[in-house]
Amino acid sequence: MRILIADDDALSLRLLERTLERDGYEVTAVQNGRLAAEHLCRHDGPRLALLDWVMPELDGPAVCREVRRKREQVYVHMVLLTSKESKQDVIEGLESGADDYLIKPFDPAELKARLRTGLRILQLEDRLVEAREDMRFKATHDPLTGLFNRGLIMDLLSRELSRTYRENGCTTILLGDVDHFKNVNDTLGHIAGDEVLREVARRMVASVRSYDYVGRYGGEEFLVVLNNCDASEQLLRAEQIRRAIANVPVQTIQGPIPVTMSVGVLSSRDWGLRPVEELLQEADVALYKAKAAGRNCVKLASPHVPPNVLPQSLEEQPK
Amino acid sequence: MMQSNNPPPEPIVNVAELLARVDNDAELLRELIAIFKVEFPRQLCALREAVGQGNLKNVQKTGHTLRGMLANLGTARGAAAAVRLERLEDSSDGAALKSALAFFESEVTDLLPELEACVAKARS
Repeated sequence: MRILIADDDALSLRLLERTLERDGYEVTAVQNGRLAAEHLCRHDGPRLALLDWVMPELDGPAVCREVRRKREQVYVHMVLLTSKESKQDVIEGLESGADDYLIKPFDPAELKARLRTGLRILQLEDRLVEAREDMRFKATHDPLTGLFNRGLIMDLLSRELSRTYRENGCTTILLGDVDHFKNVNDTLGHIAGDEVLREVARRMVASVRSYDYVGRYGGEEFLVVLNNCDASEQLLRAEQIRRAIANVPVQTIQGPIPVTMSVGVLSSRDWGLRPVEELLQEADVALYKAKAAGRNCVKLASPHVPPNVLPQSLEEQPK
Repeated sequence: MMQSNNPPPEPIVNVAELLARVDNDAELLRELIAIFKVEFPRQLCALREAVGQGNLKNVQKTGHTLRGMLANLGTARGAAAAVRLERLEDSSDGAALKSALAFFESEVTDLLPELEACVAKARS
């Protein structure tokens, strides 16, 4: 565990440093409060600190205040080292954001015990953050494929379209549906069906750029948002995805299964300012056309009315 | 023969306490003494200057630094004398400043040889 120690007394600093190194800490030692605050406020800075109260430039309580103000995302456990013993001093130290305090000269055993308390708190915080991130992931991702779930992919699409309209750019929507997927489930079972969906998702992600979005839209339906995709490239990109799925059968416990996908493509540039739901509906129409054309193909959604000739009620940011 | 009821004077350096602080590490103790040899005269010089100028704030500040340094070396008497300097409250009382300085100096006179003697008692 990394720890920062700050003390303007070189002797006290060296004694602390050696005591903590002996206990297995990776120590960063500084001699003033300004340097301490700089180290602790770095995004990868130490999360455990022992700060002398009286220091040049910035005293211990001021360091605590600065760290609490600037490093909100990650908790830093700070212990003030002080020869100030009055109740008022202790209150002032704790109010500044310190978690604990130790009276100087420190007792080595007490110092170690109090730091272990700090470590327990940090470990607890790590577990809580991990649990929160896990819950956040579960709330926004599809558990089977690991793709963005419907809620998140719709949010991302809305955000991307807003940006596109603002910057006069272009966003392409691909709505893909695995052909005859019901047959896979019905004849080979749900385990094989799940394997197919997982592999299709993997191939789709592998076929797009790192800044594009892929989400599971429904059962065997997938929504891809291609950011800043040139209109001349959109069909090519859709074709790449279709081929990545069709070219190699998916290996399952039931053996290799040939899988294909039909894709409806819609470019925001062709459709102008329209609500997300309407654009998705049009992409779905294009997908239906691909199915009707024999499946395993890509169809482009053509606008019914020219872009920018819209009822006034629609000329607002999409939801 | 009459026996004195006064407790024996506190040693200049509490050897057991000092060795416990350094975890009986002679190398670390030597290192701390080397730092002390540089830092202590510097602080003492600053203290004398502050007393000479009647600068109470600097007397208190230097007293605080010396207190921490000496306490870490197991020198309770020196640290207590430094506390007296740290707690002085009247800058106009030049005699009190000088008296506190003189007392402090008398408490730390033989400190260095005592500290060096401790090195031999630590594990090398």
